Amino acid sequence: MVTNPDKLPRAWLPSVLFSLFPFGNYVRVRGPFLKLAAIDYVILALYFLFVLGIGWMLRRKISTSSDFLTSGHSVPVWITSLAFLAANLGAQELVGMSGNGAKYGIITAHFYWVGAVPAMIFVGLFMMPFYYGSRARSVPEYLKLRFDEKTRGLNALSFAGMTVFSSGISMYALGLLLKLVLGWSFTTSVLCSAAIVLAYTFLGGLTSAIYNEVLQFFLIVFGFSPLAIMAVLKAGGWSGMSERLRAMTLPTGHSGEVMVHSWRYLAHTADNPMGIEVFGLVAGLGFVMSFGYWCTDFLVIQRAMAANSMSASRRTPVIAALPKMMMPFIVIVPGIAALALSQMGVGYHLPMKENGLPDYDQVLTTLMGKFYPAGMLGVGLTGLMASFMSGMAGNVTAFNTVFTYDIYQSYIRPGKPDHHYLSVGRVTTIAGVALSIGTAYLAQSYNSINDLLQLVFSFVNAPLFGTFLLGMFWKRATGHGAFFGLLSGTCAAALTHGLTVAEGKGGWVAVLHQFPSSMAQNFWIAISAWTVCFVMTIAISLASEARPEKELVGLVYSLTPLKHDEGVSWYKRPVPLAIAIGLLALFLNFWFA
Amino acid sequence: MMDLRIPSGSFFVLLGLILVGMGIFTPSERAALTEANVNLYCGLVMLAFGGFLLALAWRAVRRQS
Repeated sequence: MVTNPDKLPRAWLPSVLFSLFPFGNYVRVRGPFLKLAAIDYVILALYFLFVLGIGWMLRRKISTSSDFLTSGHSVPVWITSLAFLAANLGAQELVGMSGNGAKYGIITAHFYWVGAVPAMIFVGLFMMPFYYGSRARSVPEYLKLRFDEKTRGLNALSFAGMTVFSSGISMYALGLLLKLVLGWSFTTSVLCSAAIVLAYTFLGGLTSAIYNEVLQFFLIVFGFSPLAIMAVLKAGGWSGMSERLRAMTLPTGHSGEVMVHSWRYLAHTADNPMGIEVFGLVAGLGFVMSFGYWCTDFLVIQRAMAANSMSASRRTPVIAALPKMMMPFIVIVPGIAALALSQMGVGYHLPMKENGLPDYDQVLTTLMGKFYPAGMLGVGLTGLMASFMSGMAGNVTAFNTVFTYDIYQSYIRPGKPDHHYLSVGRVTTIAGVALSIGTAYLAQSYNSINDLLQLVFSFVNAPLFGTFLLGMFWKRATGHGAFFGLLSGTCAAALTHGLTVAEGKGGWVAVLHQFPSSMAQNFWIAISAWTVCFVMTIAISLASEARPEKELVGLVYSLTPLKHDEGVSWYKRPVPLAIAIGLLALFLNFWFA
Repeated sequence: MMDLRIPSGSFFVLLGLILVGMGIFTPSERAALTEANVNLYCGLVMLAFGGFLLALAWRAVRRQS
């Protein structure tokens, strides 16, 4: 869309820039919410240049399949930590969580302070020694070493499906954003973003994805912290926001008080707009879903496995927990501030859908439009696109490794020379991106991307944590137990979804129970899946023959001597670091209770 | 392995320069809901951060040689 150049205000752009970028005279796109100026496009282009440049510079380093798919255990710990976090910083994070902030309030922070930090500390301290120490190249490969071939196959297939799904959702969200901002068609946006991710992962493999994730993480922090600060200041600080929200009654009939306390209104599902209660939250989200995701999902574990030493791989998730617990201040608090601002008559209104309900997924972009002038608006939008891309690239690189090593090399063409698997890895990158494009169109039929993601994770990840917990800490667990336990857990997840209804979803078998929200339904799907998997794995393991203990050294906790890092300063040791970060998370929970 | 601090540091230095330039040459550019010169302040912070990363990378190179 190019409008008449005569009508354009040009005072904002210095003449120097005009002579450098003559198209600035003409390009001024008008979207429904945001108007981008030429300078914003310059910033966006600068970012793409660096992203592709990093891929280009790293392409020479790739000579084996291990360089391409696992980064050859050579990445410094600060980079793996930020990549560990950024790979998870996909669509659900910025757009979804700020929307949830406006919809549910600070209760959303449970996804960080309960639903992430404890699990991240646990995986670093107790599980990384086995992932890293067993020299497995992927999470499914660990399952093969610990259990058997069929458990690995099941996990590899379900994981491959899930990464394509998540990556498609990131792409869908990015497509919506570009459609909104640039007026591009959904198809053009999806294809364009897919092409950039494809280019840099194809060139530099996992290292390129990891390096770009760090750049993306910085951009997200610098692009969104100013928005959070300004929105909160405008709404009168935390106390001013609390005052204004208290005075209002939410559409759900709750008082505004519920928006500013994370624990106080969790006794009954009827007390809070999220429709959850303490047990479902702590057991479902805090234990099963979060541990299931952070401790077993190869997408994030892959980053920690790329670290350059055992100690670094253990510290990776622990260090990542620190910025993770600060994310609510960047993503959730602006959402809450948006709700307060919409009550103040200062010219900010919650974005509405055509059916008259608030469009929470647009809260963040509308805030940006109100607080960022040309320039910072470009940085904010670039940060948003970066977050979608890091989510997408993270999934593509994980899909790559699992497909190449755990499906192709194991079942389709074993025993080929390494350069064959390197080319397969590259071709899989293209296939993974193509499949994600397909799922991006699937995602269009759901109204809340965050709920959809949680649903998928609860089907696949929740039972998996039962399998890993028993596999790593109980030497008697067997391959048959793990396989059938996992299968029955996933079936239990599907059955729970089929027998219960929430917000009109589920209940495709019969309706036995009505949940007040999809969130509560997801928590209980996870709880039932994990319990069934845990119990079935124990029962079948006891009924089947145990593996000899000497085969399990390095794979099971009680049979593996853990090396302690003595003689290095405390912040370079995983345990003291974990205690410090754990205490900080505890403090945040109390402070906002 | 390439030192990531060099490309990310240069990126933020460039970004910071663009924003500070915007803040200085077009101080009238304001968003609807704020009085602050957002570009100038954010640009200065990014410039400092990018410079910090580059300084760290420079120090690492000097130590090695």
